[in-house]
Amino acid sequence: MDKIARIDMGAAGGPKVTVGDLGEYAGLGGRAMTSLMVAAEVHPLAHPLGAENKLVISPGMLSGTTGSMTGRLSVGCKSPLTGTIKESNAGGQAAQVLARLGYAAVVLEGKPEGDDLYKIVINKDGIQVIVDNSLKLMDNYPLVAKLREEYGDKVAYMTIGSAGERKLLAASIACTDPELRPTRHCGRGGVGAVMGAKRVKAIILDDAGMKMRPPKDPEKYRDANRKFVEGLRKHPVTGEGLPAYGTNVLTNVLNEAGGYPAYNFKSGQFAESANLSGETQAALEIQRGGSATHGCHRGCVIQCSGIYNDKDGNYVTKQPEYETVWSHGGHCGISNLDTVAKLDYMDDNIGVDTIEMGVTIGVAMDAGLAEFGDDAAAIRLMEEVEKGTPLGRVLGSGAAITGKVFGVERVPVVKDQALPAYDPRAVQGIGVTYATTTQGADHTAGYAIATNILKVGGDVDPLKTEGQIELSRNLQIATAAIDSTGMCLFIAFAIMDQPETFQALLDMLGSFHGITMTGDDVVALGKKVLSAERDFNTRAGFTKHHDRLPRFFYNEPIAPHNQTFMMKDEELDEVFNW
Amino acid sequence: MKNKRKTNLILNMDHDRLGDFFPLLQKGVTVEAHVGCSLELLLSHQWQIPAEYAAQRITTIFLNSRPIDSLATAIINEDAVIALSGAMPGLVGATMRRGGYYAAMREGITHHATAGNGVDRNATVRVKLFNLLLPELGPGFLQRGIIIPAGELSRFFNGKSEYFWQGCRSALLDNFPILPHLLSREDLFPDQSTVRLSVNFPSPDKQDKCVNDFTNS
Repeated sequence: MDKIARIDMGAAGGPKVTVGDLGEYAGLGGRAMTSLMVAAEVHPLAHPLGAENKLVISPGMLSGTTGSMTGRLSVGCKSPLTGTIKESNAGGQAAQVLARLGYAAVVLEGKPEGDDLYKIVINKDGIQVIVDNSLKLMDNYPLVAKLREEYGDKVAYMTIGSAGERKLLAASIACTDPELRPTRHCGRGGVGAVMGAKRVKAIILDDAGMKMRPPKDPEKYRDANRKFVEGLRKHPVTGEGLPAYGTNVLTNVLNEAGGYPAYNFKSGQFAESANLSGETQAALEIQRGGSATHGCHRGCVIQCSGIYNDKDGNYVTKQPEYETVWSHGGHCGISNLDTVAKLDYMDDNIGVDTIEMGVTIGVAMDAGLAEFGDDAAAIRLMEEVEKGTPLGRVLGSGAAITGKVFGVERVPVVKDQALPAYDPRAVQGIGVTYATTTQGADHTAGYAIATNILKVGGDVDPLKTEGQIELSRNLQIATAAIDSTGMCLFIAFAIMDQPETFQALLDMLGSFHGITMTGDDVVALGKKVLSAERDFNTRAGFTKHHDRLPRFFYNEPIAPHNQTFMMKDEELDEVFNW
Repeated sequence: MKNKRKTNLILNMDHDRLGDFFPLLQKGVTVEAHVGCSLELLLSHQWQIPAEYAAQRITTIFLNSRPIDSLATAIINEDAVIALSGAMPGLVGATMRRGGYYAAMREGITHHATAGNGVDRNATVRVKLFNLLLPELGPGFLQRGIIIPAGELSRFFNGKSEYFWQGCRSALLDNFPILPHLLSREDLFPDQSTVRLSVNFPSPDKQDKCVNDFTNS
């Protein structure tokens, strides 16, 4: 990864490709690359769908190597949904292939005149930008099927569906999985709309003739990777729970805790949650000849995904994740996994974020567009998005827009991005992260539960309530760092509990790049990324007053604990005070 | 429930039908228990779950929807709802962990020590099993017996496939043999009654295995 490709889609005479060295971005990958580049190069007041915005695509620091769990791809830009800086990442094959092709980043710049639609082909011979208007308004599954006829099965595809072309604010960028299904999405923040605004429909990544990225110290890297994999396999979360049930194993527990937001955040429990649980889902997948254990990219040893078939054994979608099952399920009063699976497929096909869309449909139900629990109505609303009707465009622009259009007071968003599946009144600490993250409400912004071992910010007494601010800060720092490595965030469980697994990760990074890496280096990287993101947001007009939850979280107690969000504003303002 | 007629039903099932009972177990089943004691005593003495297993495998426990950090100080009262889970992913999974590093993040809902109602007697509690604990602890609870409303049990049996009934080797209804297929008849159990259902799985169950694994380690 020794080069950066910049593709000026608005260049006179047609798109122009420039390939240069890394310069000031040397040594960066993933979120560090996307955020530092956007912060440095995008005007903070730029219109997110305009020529001034840039879409930065970057594999992680270890992507394209033989290392396990290294397949996350980061996409960054100024978000059309939130107006903040945005980093959205996904699994799939794209990161590995792009890294092996030698690109630390591919940057889409400018904006073309006219209505032509482009595809970009990146292979060992270089980069081609090709007009292909036959792809117009195709959705992801048929789009990838059509591209496979021309480019085959030994490539990776990044695509947008009709939502991205229509520049809907919930639009995602799909990355194909090992079976070339467009199931792994850079979902949050409307990054697909930015790609659509630049009129890029598909990026075809072909690493034929390329080799795995070689480590500086191959023997040490191999040994560190072996220990890292051993650590993942022996841990009960990464070696047992996630492979058996996927992330949806959380449904029963969140519901039991009263932290499962049901009926658009009106209750903390959903009576029919067991019908949606990971345990039920896994059993159904196996019974129908699908799978409850599947990796989103080659080299994944956790295998938290799966294959969801219909009752006749036909593929419907990949295993819907916890957040998806919640947003389309309990959040909307729906308890049928087949309905959730169909909606998940529609999300992936149209190319929209499953969290944003599920929450939006719940808000629409609160507005009276449908009844809670009406499966058919939820599908009908998604079909509006699919068709691009005026109502569909409103819904496809997310919960905040939908709430405004229909006069809904209870709209669960921060910085206009929908809250994920954990009620902050029950789990106050995660509310701190929702409120203050640079990304808009995002559970993964403070997800890297390795702060204890990283000693980020020194030792914290986690049993003191006031420690929640510090915990959230430290989680956000650790997450920003792990997002930069290209490692899947789920590795954090093994890191948290097993010091030798954390050391193995440091050794992988160190031996690959020929440096000695410590926990302090990881922390410094995380702080650097967050500081750049905060600075961008400040220049874009965001203040501490945007770091707040919607008022109903402070005013409406939620069952069963009848608790409101109680963190004080002054405490929230301390999160980034380091 | 106490005044209702109770029917006793014993099933002898092939072990590979265990998964059919998971929906019941994750929704929660009523079991007899001696209440007024600590959760620690309930797990170890009444349910025969070794302390090492509880420490290493039952990493998340809810008592009446509140995550607990200490088994010793959580007192079990009549009709308590106890949910047992293995290790969970995600930040919130880590947050719910018993005595975990991130426990502060759910401080507002954490169960704190209570004196209990002071009554030390036989009663019932409701227990839920989640994820990895379903195959490991489920056989033990099923063998000891669960108390289930007749209507719920009828709905459970009505949804079962032929494969399930093929795995039912024998059934005893109030000590009399009954053809397993007849259990799906809706009029079998009196209205408003409850059933004490015990299910035996002849092959070595996973609870025995996990007990052995942890006591031998």
